[in-house]
Amino acid sequence: MGLLGLFGLQWRVIGALIMREIHTRYGRENIGHLWVVGEPLLFCVGVAVMWTAIRPAHEHGVPVTAFVITGYVPLTMWRHCISRSIKAFESNGALLFHRQVTPMDIIVSRCILEIVGALVAGIVVSTGAMLAGFMDPPDSLGLIYLGIAYQAVFCFACALIMAPLSEMGDVLDKFVNAVMYLSLPFSGAFTMVEWVPTALQPILLWSPSVHSLEIIRQGQFGSAVHAHYDLVYLTWSCAVMILIGLSLVLRSRKHILVQ
Amino acid sequence: MIHCIDVVEEYHVAQRGVRRVLDGVCLDVAPGQKMAVLGRNGAGKSTLIKIIGGVELATSGRVERTMSVSWPLAFSGAFQGSLTGLDNLKFITRIYGLDYQHTRDFVDDFAELGRQLAEPVKTYSSGMRARLAFALTIAIEFDCYLIDEVIMVGDQRFFRRCQEELFEKRSDRALVVVSHDMSFIRDVCDSAAVIHNSQLEVCGSVDEAVGVYNSL
Repeated sequence: MGLLGLFGLQWRVIGALIMREIHTRYGRENIGHLWVVGEPLLFCVGVAVMWTAIRPAHEHGVPVTAFVITGYVPLTMWRHCISRSIKAFESNGALLFHRQVTPMDIIVSRCILEIVGALVAGIVVSTGAMLAGFMDPPDSLGLIYLGIAYQAVFCFACALIMAPLSEMGDVLDKFVNAVMYLSLPFSGAFTMVEWVPTALQPILLWSPSVHSLEIIRQGQFGSAVHAHYDLVYLTWSCAVMILIGLSLVLRSRKHILVQ
Repeated sequence: MIHCIDVVEEYHVAQRGVRRVLDGVCLDVAPGQKMAVLGRNGAGKSTLIKIIGGVELATSGRVERTMSVSWPLAFSGAFQGSLTGLDNLKFITRIYGLDYQHTRDFVDDFAELGRQLAEPVKTYSSGMRARLAFALTIAIEFDCYLIDEVIMVGDQRFFRRCQEELFEKRSDRALVVVSHDMSFIRDVCDSAAVIHNSQLEVCGSVDEAVGVYNSL
């Protein structure tokens, strides 16, 4: 089998895994497969409506609904990617009975599902908010695409690292929820770098997620905000994380016990 | 051919460190050969079959496969219990690139699960599960089938179908079989090996292997 044939096979496997994942998680009851989008959608809509209701319409000169939506959609993407990658190999152990299914395929398929789900939910929420008059159309779609693309890569990199680590012991499992909650300020979803004291800004900017959210917000609000981001740092940090994740995933196969 | 070259498998055991389940196992399986693997419970037979099938990776040593090898047909594995038989079937046809309708017809005919095929696999009895697993494996034309005990759970009729589909129609295929049923082994296999104390000994004949097994 040539290289192209192998890629074809891997895509087939990933496609089959995605379909299988949809069936196991959402089944065929009520709206069935649409829950892929429905789940993140519920969350984003809920938060957007709540914030719009209880917060002043503008914070730091930025309309609050659009700020919440541009923050929560990427945040949901990240949280879902991580929570689906924890113990992903263990729960999908039976699939490794088939030689062509690799741990990598499992992570890739789960991430595709979460990323696409969050994206479609984001499109639905923001279209809804724009039609209802709570949100202006984005200033630059290009920047939004760029920021989302980086965020998706960052989410994938996090999943690549978390999945093999979570198999190595049960301790990490217990920390994950607390650590994820405590790292929320580093997601960049709740604040812009410009709004925090200058001394704290460099610390926030360690997080690749903050960079990609700043890009997204620049895309949404244009010159109304002053965004801080560094594409070189963002690219490098994502690349290094992916390399670490790849090496962990490739090493993990020997340690996965298949029932 | 399948070559297992110097395969070592170790598991980490709590408190006692490392347990070596297989120690320097060498085994060759030629096309068409029917190889039985004998040994007491816990000797490492299923582990060896999983390593041959590529489900588990050996701690050291390697397995070379120059013919297509099925996944290990066993009591567990290969199915997602919460999915229906049909969804499992669909998944397998997707990853092996098979025609869905054709495979479904074959499985319907072979496993005779009828409407149960649309129910979640976790509601199946072990015999029904074995029938589904068998039908799906045979639906894919492998050169070598790995069978871990599972034939024995079926009823008479199922056993006859297996006989017909696997041992008659596909008599040119290789088999690696784990079983404690010596009359079955004598009927089906033409060569045998015994695992004892983490070592694998390939015997000269099936009768000799059964003799070694009985003396364990």
